[in-house]
This record gives sequence, structure tokens and C-alpha cells, in this order.
Amino acid sequence: MRRYFFIIIIIVFLYLSNNSVTFASSNYVLPYPSAMPGSFVYKLELVKEYLMSYWYFGDFGQFKYNLQESDKYLVEAKTLFDYKQYLLGYQALTNSDQYFEKIRPSLISAQNHNKDISEKLSILKEAALKHIEELNKMRKNVPETFVWSPEKRKPSNLNLGWLILNSIKIRGQVL
Amino acid sequence: MIRLSVLIYLLSLACFAFFTFAFVDIHLFYLRNLYTGLYLTHRLELSAVFTLLVAVLFGCFYIFITNSDKLKHLTNKLVLLVVAAAIIAYPAALTFDIFNYMTTAKVVYQYHENPYVIYPLEFVGEPNLLFTRATNKLALYGPFWILLTAIPYFLGFGNFILTLFSFKAFIALFYLATVYLIRKMDRNAVIFFALNPLVVVETLVSSHNDIVMVFFALLAVYFIKLDKVSSIVAFVGSVLIKFSTAFLIPVYLLSFFSKLKSERIYAYSAISMLVIFALSPIREELYPWYAIWFIAFTAFLNKNKFLQTLVLVFSFGLMLRYIPYIATGNYFGPTPIIRNALMILPVLIFLISIWLKRYFPSRL
Repeated sequence: MRRYFFIIIIIVFLYLSNNSVTFASSNYVLPYPSAMPGSFVYKLELVKEYLMSYWYFGDFGQFKYNLQESDKYLVEAKTLFDYKQYLLGYQALTNSDQYFEKIRPSLISAQNHNKDISEKLSILKEAALKHIEELNKMRKNVPETFVWSPEKRKPSNLNLGWLILNSIKIRGQVL
Repeated sequence: MIRLSVLIYLLSLACFAFFTFAFVDIHLFYLRNLYTGLYLTHRLELSAVFTLLVAVLFGCFYIFITNSDKLKHLTNKLVLLVVAAAIIAYPAALTFDIFNYMTTAKVVYQYHENPYVIYPLEFVGEPNLLFTRATNKLALYGPFWILLTAIPYFLGFGNFILTLFSFKAFIALFYLATVYLIRKMDRNAVIFFALNPLVVVETLVSSHNDIVMVFFALLAVYFIKLDKVSSIVAFVGSVLIKFSTAFLIPVYLLSFFSKLKSERIYAYSAISMLVIFALSPIREELYPWYAIWFIAFTAFLNKNKFLQTLVLVFSFGLMLRYIPYIATGNYFGPTPIIRNALMILPVLIFLISIWLKRYFPSRL
């Protein structure tokens, strides 16, 4: 009887240990959340973001800038979704996608200027993996759709599930 | 005596220039025909030669400043001969900063990237990475310096050796311009600055950009009573080369808005630059070429012979800081302690001798 009990425990343990879904993981480190929309600091951050787009000139500069901004907005979206600020989170994730889509052209331009992009490509792949990892986590906690009803305006439907899937698709293109 | 010391000084300097080629880097494939490997195999002999040459140069320099009246008519020729003797030297014998200037210029003018956000290390396959130090650091100098480096960079026409020597020539021009400016401000100050072996070695041999920063700082002082706008432009230019002259802001504002005597301006400036020099270990470490910052202003305080001799002795001590590295090839272990001891020792000996002379005048 004891033997059977022991076997059952092992089977249950093995089942539980394999039950959790493991996503592709990456050592890439995302930044801390920055200031959030609505604060005065956030407005200053927007000004800085605009100015930095010129400061980070050059192909590698643009690579760095777009990746940093994409990371920043992804973390912002995640934080906002955690606090159920779906409209702001939606906008942040859209921004992150826009910046991410600009990364590859900057690398193509660098390659055209005879710069070795092998290291940058591996950084980009690591970043994409990390983004996908975070986006998959987001998918679990965010509703598929959300009706946003602002005061004195028509409500709008935010297709959050589609947005997150699209974000994953964008990142997946660089893998 | 003075003519002999001039001859010995120039010969020693030419020997020093020749001596620097013993340090041609093994990774510097552009100069592989000049590579000897002596800096790896004959460390002690090289440290002995270095000590000897530095001692002789400072000995001659002491004779120059104590007989400056006899040397005045020779100053122009001497300065030009000093440039001619030192400019041929290999610039990375004692430090590697010139490669850093060149690589930063390459990041901007060849790769069209911002050196304040992109590390040189990020350019995989870049040949300069083989021999440039601090490639894991963003641009260390101000934007005005980076802008100015466009001149020697483009004059190099993409050829490494031509670029290396155009950077050297560019720095040498600033040395000559600084000497000319000092001469315009006070003829008696030229020898103390222009022939100080530390200034000569660090500017004309190792080609540090501190001379460019100092030139614009002196230009700002020169214009302060003649043309306020030019003075401000020159001062801002100086700060935007290496930031250290930002420590001159209080003195500069004081002299800008009050009728401060020139001597006071120089004295306060020398003190300010000495303070930032002394604080430099907080940021990194005490590099000998930082002394150029205060030597430039001390040159004008020629009434104070004690101070000038003290600065001379300290300059000598600072040059001795190189010995432990030349002898051991590393910056660790006992090197930092020995380096500081060698720097302080000449100053202590000088101060003790002064004290002894004062209290036992009859016996010495």
C-alpha cells in the first residue's frame, strides 16, 4: 500500500512540475518603469524623448534609441495594464510597437554603411525574446476587449487581445 | 653655461623622442616595422633611461629659469627647436590618449555616430580597437574638442600614420599659440611654461589636449579687458574642451565684473586649477599632464621664485610617476604607492632644504 502511495506522489509531482507553460526566456534586462502618464514628470519625459531622437543620431544611435524607447513603453504598458489603465496601456504598447518596428531599418542602414551589425542583431533578438516573454504574461492578465467609456463621448472598443498578439508578431519577425 | 645647458636640453629632448619608440605597441600594426618589444623585455633599463633623461631635462630647465634674462633672446628659436625635436616622438609611449582622440574622431566623422552615446567598442572589426584604450567609455572630452578634431582627422586623409602625426601637429600648433599668447601677456612668463619638461613631454610628445583647453582659458583672460565678447567665447570654448576650466568660473566672473589686477587673476586662477588638479583622483587619478592647468597660470607669477621653484620640483615629481609603470608594466600591486612616493619625494626634499637653509643659513 505504501509503495502505491509513494508512486502516486511521484506521478502527481511530475505532473505538477510539467504543468506550467515555459516561454522562451531571455537574459535581456528591461528597464524600471519610468514616470506614468498624468504626472508632470511624464510630460518632461516626452520632451526629453523628442530631443533624444536627435541626440541619438547615426545608425547605431537610432538602434539604441528605438530599442530603449520600445523597452520603456513596453514596461509602461505592462505597469498600466496591471493597474487596469487599459486605454493608457493600449497607447503605451502601440508606442512600443512603433519604436520596435524602427529598429530593423536602422540596422539595415548600418549594414549599408559597412558597419558590422552581428552584435546588434543578437541584442535585438534577445530583446525580442524578452518582449515576447512579457507580452505572453500580459495576455494572461489583460481582457481580450475592453470598452472604454469616456465622459461626454462615445465609448470605444479596445481590442487588447489583438494588440498584444500583433505586438508578439512584430517581435517575432526579427527572430 | 646657459648655451651648454640649452644644447644638453635639446639633445636630451631628441634622445627622449628617440627613446619613445621603444614603446611602440605590439598591436599597432601600422608601425610594426618600428616595433622592438623593448618595453616588454627591458623594463628596468628603460626606466633608468627615462629617469636620467627627465632628470637632465629638469636640471637644464632649472638653469633656464634661474638665468632667464640670458636666455630671453634665444627663446623663440629654442621653442621652435623644442617643437622640432619633440614632434617626431612616438606619442603613446607614456599614455594612449592620442589613440582615444583619433578613435573618437573616427566615430563621429567616419561612422557618423554620436560618441556620447555609442562606445568605440561597438564597431566590431574596427582596427583602432586593437591598440586604443578605454574603448568601453563614451567620449571623455567636451563637444568643442570633438568639433576641433575634425581638422586633424580630415588632414589625415584616412591614412593612420598621417592622421597620427596631424593630431600631433595640431596639438603642437596650440602649444606654439599658447606660447605666443603668454609672450603677449608677459614676456617673462614664456620660459617657465614653454620649456618646462612636463609641459613639453605631455604636450609635444604625448600630445594631450590640455594645452588646447589652456590656450582658450588664457585667451579668455587676455581678452577680458580688451573685448568682453571674445573673452566669453574663448572661456566657453575652453570649458567645452575638457570641463576642468569650469573651476575658473568664480575667478573669471570676479575679474569680469571688477577691476582685478592681472597678477591677482593669475594667482587665483593658478589656485583654482591646483584645486581641481588635487581633486582629480576623485574622478579617476592624478595624471601628470593635468599639471599643465596650473603651470600655465603659475608662469605669470614670476615674482614669486619660491612658488615657481616649488612648481618645477613638483613637475619633476609628477614625471617620476611614470617610472613604476615603465619598470613593472602594470598599475597594480605596489605601483600606486611607489608612484605617489616618487611624486612627493622631490617636493619634500625641496621643502626640507629650504627649511634647513632658513634655520641654519651659516652651515649650508
